Amino acid sequence: MANTIAPNNPAENSAPRQADVRTEEMLVNMGPQHPSTHGVLRVVLRTDGEMVLESVPHIGYLHRCAEKIGENVAPYQYVPYTDRMDYLAGMNNNQAFALAVEKLTGLEVPERAKYIRVMFSELNRIASHLVAIGTYGLDMGAFTPFLYCFREREMLLDLFESACGARLTYSYITIGGVTDDLPENFVDVCSEFLDYFEPKIDDYNNLLSYNHIFVKRTGNVGVVSAEDAIRFGLSGPVLRGSGVKFDLRKAKPYEIYDRFDFDVPVGLPGGTAEIPRGVVVGDCWSRYYVRVKEMVESVKIIRQCLRDIPDADEKEGVCNKKCKTVKLPDDEVYMEIENPRGQLGFYVKGDGSAIPARVKARGPSFCNLCVLEYAGKNCLLADIPAIIGSMDVVMGEVDR
Amino acid sequence: MGYHNAIYVGVVLMSWIENRFEEGLMMTSVDWALNWARSSSVWPMTFGLACCAIEMMAVGASRFDIDRFGAGAFRATPRQSDLMIVAGTVTYKMASRLKRLYNQMPDPKYVMAMGACTIGGGPYFKHGYHVVKGVDLVVPVDIYIPGCPPRPEALLEGLMRLQDKIRHESRAIDRVAESNQQQLANV
Amino acid sequence: MTQFSVPWKQSPPLEHRGPARGVVALARFVYSAAAPIVSRFPGLILTSAIVFSTLAVWIHWELFSYLETIAASDLNGTAKSIWGQSLTVGEIGAYLQSNSVAAGGVLKYLLWPLQMELFRDIVGLAAIFQLFNLIPVYAIWWERKVAGRIQSRMGPMRVGGWHGWAQSFADGVKLVAKEDLVPAQADGMLFKIAPYLAFVPSLLAFLCFPLGSYWVFRNVDVALIFIIAMVGIEVVGVIVAGWASNNKWSVYGAMREACQMVSYEIPMTTVLLVPIMTAGTLNMVQIGDAQSGGWFTWNAFHNPFTFIAFITYYIASLANCKRAPFDLPESESELVAGFHTEYSGFRWSLFFFAEYAAMFVVSGLAVTLFLGAWHTPLPSTWAFEETSLFKILLNGILFSSPFWFIFKCFIFIYIQLWIRWTLPRIRIDQVLYSCVQVMFPIACVALVGHAVWMVLLDGSMFSTLIRWVLGLIFAAVTFGFLSVAAFGYRNGRRMVGYLAVKQLPGS
Repeated sequence: MANTIAPNNPAENSAPRQADVRTEEMLVNMGPQHPSTHGVLRVVLRTDGEMVLESVPHIGYLHRCAEKIGENVAPYQYVPYTDRMDYLAGMNNNQAFALAVEKLTGLEVPERAKYIRVMFSELNRIASHLVAIGTYGLDMGAFTPFLYCFREREMLLDLFESACGARLTYSYITIGGVTDDLPENFVDVCSEFLDYFEPKIDDYNNLLSYNHIFVKRTGNVGVVSAEDAIRFGLSGPVLRGSGVKFDLRKAKPYEIYDRFDFDVPVGLPGGTAEIPRGVVVGDCWSRYYVRVKEMVESVKIIRQCLRDIPDADEKEGVCNKKCKTVKLPDDEVYMEIENPRGQLGFYVKGDGSAIPARVKARGPSFCNLCVLEYAGKNCLLADIPAIIGSMDVVMGEVDR
Repeated sequence: MGYHNAIYVGVVLMSWIENRFEEGLMMTSVDWALNWARSSSVWPMTFGLACCAIEMMAVGASRFDIDRFGAGAFRATPRQSDLMIVAGTVTYKMASRLKRLYNQMPDPKYVMAMGACTIGGGPYFKHGYHVVKGVDLVVPVDIYIPGCPPRPEALLEGLMRLQDKIRHESRAIDRVAESNQQQLANV
Repeated sequence: MTQFSVPWKQSPPLEHRGPARGVVALARFVYSAAAPIVSRFPGLILTSAIVFSTLAVWIHWELFSYLETIAASDLNGTAKSIWGQSLTVGEIGAYLQSNSVAAGGVLKYLLWPLQMELFRDIVGLAAIFQLFNLIPVYAIWWERKVAGRIQSRMGPMRVGGWHGWAQSFADGVKLVAKEDLVPAQADGMLFKIAPYLAFVPSLLAFLCFPLGSYWVFRNVDVALIFIIAMVGIEVVGVIVAGWASNNKWSVYGAMREACQMVSYEIPMTTVLLVPIMTAGTLNMVQIGDAQSGGWFTWNAFHNPFTFIAFITYYIASLANCKRAPFDLPESESELVAGFHTEYSGFRWSLFFFAEYAAMFVVSGLAVTLFLGAWHTPLPSTWAFEETSLFKILLNGILFSSPFWFIFKCFIFIYIQLWIRWTLPRIRIDQVLYSCVQVMFPIACVALVGHAVWMVLLDGSMFSTLIRWVLGLIFAAVTFGFLSVAAFGYRNGRRMVGYLAVKQLPGS
């Protein structure tokens, strides 16, 4: 019996093929414990040999009731829970929630605190992208870039530790500012780190990005066109890898991002500029490379922050004094920021007391993951980790 | 199991070279050699669930390098690993899979509960309806490492404590039967 | 110990009693005596172990041939065959006495068992088996150290003292003492047989592997085909392992493995025809002997086609050994652990050993067939005259000996490790594409080109010139690598990250 598999893949990785041998389809289960999936993600694949016909993600293995907890604790107590949602980008999550509550209550943030917040958000963006790049190389079988990325990340974590005492879950950016001021020579040490780090990005490009094998593995794989990306509600590097130049820091600038001069990298077609041949706009390589270029932009922003940061003011401090006693008005607010993974939004509804009535988090990884079913059709089994890795999914954010 | 029966017979036959420590802990030279081998080559399973997984990855990375201790061969399959580092929050949905993976590991196996979530539920203790309040409700745990997340140095100290624990093992005391009884009591 | 932690009940140091005491004391004495040397020359340990084990074979062979001289000439000078009739102790003693050999009284009893070929085989097999076990043990430790260094970290450091040299032994003992696990739904018989199907052929390949002109267990005339066949049988072990595990992921690994190994045997074997053509024989010892005389006679530099053949063979052998970048069958991030997902303990260690033994076998083939086997690159006319035992020994160490063979093999194993920890993994369809559409045509071109060269250009001035050019290219590459390594070694600290040394505020 002849099996005809119609092309359902918009990237047209495969032409319709006639199989004259009757083959059985297998249901294979990937995860939830799996070295490739970034966390506890289970993907059920319907495969015909090596060819994946359908992939269905199952989530919920890390549901930690974050939104219910938000209805039971005050905002300044809730900040540590936002850390643990997207644990790779704790500062950004803290910032999103803090901005939402500040918008709701009208709290003023000191000027120095704003600069510190932006600086640490961008530093955390670099750290998060380093993990993304490293683990993506690990998924593809290149073991070494992972360790080089983590080596640079350790220096970043040293910086974070000097400021707030924690390496991973910071809870540093809080309602009304930051919890504590920077150490004395932080500006010098941070500039030194940036000087050391910028040439390393070239190292990563030589080792991984332009590696012929890596390009063959990720180029023209899991292609998502620009219209489909907008239709699915993707955001972050996944959206920009498909060619859509949309970044919340430029489109709807929050905090003081409108004072800084930086570029928004987008996915480009293969053969142009520095993009190798075999790459298509919207494939895994473009998404990955957008992250690499975003690190360069973050370095730019941090340098501008270090240059422009106002001196410490003893009277004002770095945190609004009312952060612990603020009462939420009977109103609702939704505030979105640009996470390393995409648009992270917090919806906070107050009811006049100190404890919110409802907290909802819009996790970018949750929306980015939906496209797996669409991009993971009619590809090879080895492409599934490539696609999941390029989405840079963090399950804490998907399941909340 | 045949292996354990053989060891019992061996212990009886070699009883004349046993050393006696306090409270009946008898350790032979064979025990010493086996414990040395087992503690020098503890292979963890990649079981990162949440934030603690990132610190576990940092332990495997260059600065803290768990491979120095011989424990750097992270095996993806439970069949080839000795140690399950439960790194991250265990939820009800995940708990059954955790137990299944634990059962698939061959003896001798050890479990390390890394992070506050696995010790007693962590920050989700009060309001987390989907969080298992401590992984020792699911599998027997050998080492608890507090922290949220624990520093990589803490994880390394936990590993060294585990190595101490393994070095105190003796064939005369059947740990498997003990842990089986413990598991039955938990269920 | 911090003040916040509960102190363990610390047990006093173990006092061994009885025979264990003597054994432990002896072991400690030997270790303390050997440690200073051991810590400085790890390569020396391995080399000396190999040399000693093959020295046993060589001494045995010398004694055996001495026995033949005894048999060949009795007291009256007439020849006597050893195979029809066996010598008695008395006859041996009489011969020794007539030739005034010292310690003849004892020697006659030692020489008598050497008549039996079985005895000779047992000693040889013991040496081979020891070699076969020692090489993966060393290679596993070395891989972890090399991987660590490439990844800017140290590998094992604690187990056994200096740089964790006893790590492989600890791993081995631990794996042996693991629970014997057979999955309930697995095909029991096949599951248990599969590791042996993968492990034994590698051992068999060692049997006719020459480490020197006489240092071979069996000098089989079709040794090359035998070794290739043995490397091919490993596929069966892998497929059976994957199938018998009753696990979909294992089946995936097994099927990918089947595809890959079997396909890559085609270019690999085609390209191996090139040195066979040069030497005109399948006998490995003769192929090795044809390359005595320094680098000029080595097959790899014969003409550009053999050079291409050499490189193609190396890459195809990487795929055959399932080493990265072709390590799809055991790729962690996709297939959990591939075909040996369900294996644990001793069964799995057999797969592990087989992999490293196969690495050594294919490296050994590359060295024997292309790079002069056990000969040095120096011209053999520089060798000493074999007037004394010392000169013979010096010749062996500097010019032609198993030491050179092992050394060259380990260079190739190092390159395999190097490639593994640098390059990502190739997808299965790309693997097969590169096999059939890239490597096989190159192999055919190399074969035909070499045949044409042999017919037309062999022995001409042009071919000599080309040999010199190829040799210079090879020397330049080697020199380049060594200088980069030296540069990295000297600037190692600086290249890792100077910020790591500085103290940050608050730390």
